[in-house]
Amino acid sequence: MTRVYVTGVGLHPFGRFDGKSYLDLGREAAHLALRDADISWSDVDAAYLARMYLPATSAPRIFKQLGATGISSCDVEAACASGGVAIRQAIMGIASGAFDTVMVLGVEKMPRGFMDPTMIYEPWQIAMGLAVNPSYWAMRARRHMHEFGTTEHDIARVAVKNHRNSTHNPFAMYQKAFTTEEILGSRLVCDPIRLLEICAPNDGSAAIVLRSERRARAARKRIEVVASAHTLARYSSDFRSPESSMSARASNSGPTTVTARLAYDQAGLGPQDIDCFEVQDTDAFCELEAYEDLGLCAVGHGAELVRSGACEMGGRHPVNMSGGLISKGEPVGASHLGQVVELVWQLRGEAGARQVDRAGTGLAHVLGAGGHCAVTILKT
Amino acid sequence: MTTLPTSTERVAIREGLFAGALDALDRVQLAGSSCNACGEVHLGTVHLCPNCGNGSLTSLALHPSGTLWTYTILRFKPPGDFRGSEPFKPRPCGLVELPDGVRVLAPLDIPEEDLVIGMHVRLRASPLYMDDADREVIAFSFAPAEEPPV
Repeated sequence: MTRVYVTGVGLHPFGRFDGKSYLDLGREAAHLALRDADISWSDVDAAYLARMYLPATSAPRIFKQLGATGISSCDVEAACASGGVAIRQAIMGIASGAFDTVMVLGVEKMPRGFMDPTMIYEPWQIAMGLAVNPSYWAMRARRHMHEFGTTEHDIARVAVKNHRNSTHNPFAMYQKAFTTEEILGSRLVCDPIRLLEICAPNDGSAAIVLRSERRARAARKRIEVVASAHTLARYSSDFRSPESSMSARASNSGPTTVTARLAYDQAGLGPQDIDCFEVQDTDAFCELEAYEDLGLCAVGHGAELVRSGACEMGGRHPVNMSGGLISKGEPVGASHLGQVVELVWQLRGEAGARQVDRAGTGLAHVLGAGGHCAVTILKT
Repeated sequence: MTTLPTSTERVAIREGLFAGALDALDRVQLAGSSCNACGEVHLGTVHLCPNCGNGSLTSLALHPSGTLWTYTILRFKPPGDFRGSEPFKPRPCGLVELPDGVRVLAPLDIPEEDLVIGMHVRLRASPLYMDDADREVIAFSFAPAEEPPV
């Protein structure tokens, strides 16, 4: 199979930028990635834009600013996994021989507060008050606590870790450490999930340049993409989807388990071979559950892994070195690209104060509405 | 034929959600669809089985009682065109497991301090709001039950 490399990355901070349009955010990240790859826009054969909240034809509107070169370019939407799907499209384009150089850009500009329920739910669910995203994550957390003895304290520790990591990330919206007591003292949003354990929709952009082996040969600092997988949740395997009813009999593996297995197979690597992770922490429990589904520990043992400190900086499996979505915020279309940019910096040894020692492999994971899940694995 | 001018017309909040007439709310049950191929049961009227894609399903009335599988409490007013009572008060919702082999997402009429996974609950159909045609829109919730589901 054709090898595909990231040869350049660009990141605009995640946060709220009232004076900037999505056109500005997109152009800036794209420009940074081109400069980092040491190429010009005319070298790019195709460009994909990952986004969820932006209007139709956002890709042409953003990319035309760089020059209407007549390349193939379009918007890609897969909720929280939009970035993963856009990367996958780019890789398939390169693997097919159609393209040598593809830009993948993620951009979002979102209103504050709960996400627009009409994008995900039916009118009757909205009327009945069942269209609250965090409630689905909270119900999963409550069930996990019931089945496995996970505590609110365990969940809070994930948030403590991510907020602490964010203090070394100038691209994060919040760069402030909190104690466990402060996390557990913050307002409940949906029991047992609290305000400081949840990510906020916001603005941001991230871009990468992907190149075929022959074009990447001369690249100064190339990182290989060794896996790119995307799946939709199987029947009744994830009630975050969201569904109005779930089977009490089916026992399908969840979307993260299925997608990670595909990605590990592509990469020829297992979870123990991965040096650092950026995972979906829509809420702190979501990250704890991802530890289990990504194979960092057995199902039901996520809390033990938290207590062991293995996922902290300096631990065996550092997770969310960037501070995660809890501190960066989640500009949905840009979130996975942002994870990949962080991993590229880690694998190049350019992550500064949040550098993982001798990081040679990294995994990025996103999971969201519709049961969309994507996993990307990088290797030096 | 006589029509009582005072009687209020009722409509289900979602077509195909309830089994039977809506005039006696204490006897209303949730409707379900059971797949004739794989046997999976789904809430409401379903045209294709989301498990196996089969188009042959049998309508049934779901058991009105079940057990609480998980829950949360909404502390902030839900977004969009939420029709609950004002001012907003924190309200629980959860997944209720019915003996038919299906778990249904529902608001819970249960005091916070009584919420516990595994508790017995029973369906409650009730008017949520009046629509533009002055009809009562019937929604559902689950409330505590003395008896285990049968």
